[in-house]
Amino acid sequence: MPDAKGRRIALGCEGSANKLGIGIIAHDPVTGEPTVLSNVRDTFVSPPGTGFLPKDTARHHRAYFVRVAKKALSASGAGGRKPLRGSHRDGAGDNGGVEPVVLYVSGGNTQVIAYAEQRYRIFGETLDIAVGNCLDRFARTLEISNDPAPGYNIEQLAKQGGRVLLDLPYAVKGMDCSFSGILGRADDLAAQMKAGEPGPDGEPFTPADLCFSLQETVFAMLVEITERAMAHVGSNQVLIVGGVGCNERLQEMMGAMAAERGGSVYATDERFCIDNGIMIAHAGLLAYETGFRTPLEESTCTQRFRTDEVFVKWRD
Amino acid sequence: MATDDNFPCSLTLQVPFPDARLASVALQALRVDKELSGLVKRELSTVASPSSEDAGQTVLQVDYKATTNRMLRVAVNSFMDSLALVLEVQEEMDVDLIESEKANN
Repeated sequence: MPDAKGRRIALGCEGSANKLGIGIIAHDPVTGEPTVLSNVRDTFVSPPGTGFLPKDTARHHRAYFVRVAKKALSASGAGGRKPLRGSHRDGAGDNGGVEPVVLYVSGGNTQVIAYAEQRYRIFGETLDIAVGNCLDRFARTLEISNDPAPGYNIEQLAKQGGRVLLDLPYAVKGMDCSFSGILGRADDLAAQMKAGEPGPDGEPFTPADLCFSLQETVFAMLVEITERAMAHVGSNQVLIVGGVGCNERLQEMMGAMAAERGGSVYATDERFCIDNGIMIAHAGLLAYETGFRTPLEESTCTQRFRTDEVFVKWRD
Repeated sequence: MATDDNFPCSLTLQVPFPDARLASVALQALRVDKELSGLVKRELSTVASPSSEDAGQTVLQVDYKATTNRMLRVAVNSFMDSLALVLEVQEEMDVDLIESEKANN
């Protein structure tokens, strides 16, 4: 619905996994310029060594929904407005029209994507668990805190590691990759470490060495499949999205690869990388502006909705 | 409601709302989440309150039928969680409340 300035306003609710997010966006009716009016999130954090269970997560989301919604609504009228940067669309625009390869890495998804002819086409993806799930579950093995996020704490711990790169499987299969075997091996190594057994060089190793080795291995795999997609579509730009996209080591490794190809990497921060209401509001409003409607009585919820199912009418 | 040989366990809930608009909003919001199990059938409707004749359809009526009492209990418990959220949103965030809060600030 339009506001006093004639801008279209949309509110997006995000409730997947352990995040509850509500975002409000405005689109200029002439230029289409999006402005983030508010973007509020609350995370259900489970104790160290445990994951979040659907029942507890649902209870959290119900308990916090009104609080988060009120915060988003009151913040949207209170100034502090920031133009949106870092959506798929702007990612393309900022790069002088060069279509980026998109690496979508989160707790639920691991995909290499490129846009062509009104669809985001999946070039490669995980064959089993998502890379974020691999990292989250390894944080559980090491009983690292889940606050603010297990992946963030692995990243911080990994900075202290690196004395030794422990040998983990490297599982790239064409354009696809696999993480469950790597997690299994990392869990085995963690058990060895807890039992006081030495590493391959006869010296003891630490949780930090394990985090370092896991990150270096899985991120190298992601860089490889992203580079192959770039070569295929002739792009030297990478856009990283999804919660794992916050990881600065992944951004650094991807940046080194892109620089060698004469390009660059675009990554955003936790406001837009991690699950948020703004991406829902923005995509919903773009769809609305191109005539897309879903009557309430035809609305449903689904756990399975693939990236390439969306017909992107709002792009060329 | 009529008994059904395959769905012998049934329960009818009647949830009164202050007005027909709020009852209708609740109906439309709750209807989006379909029953996930084929062992449970649910019908949602709004009906007139038996106590007042001219206030419109202010009562949300929920008819549940299930194959077993266990399935019925699981489905109704889950529905009550959703209903509680809808009521909380209406209590805390309905249009006129937001407007009056704005006016007060």
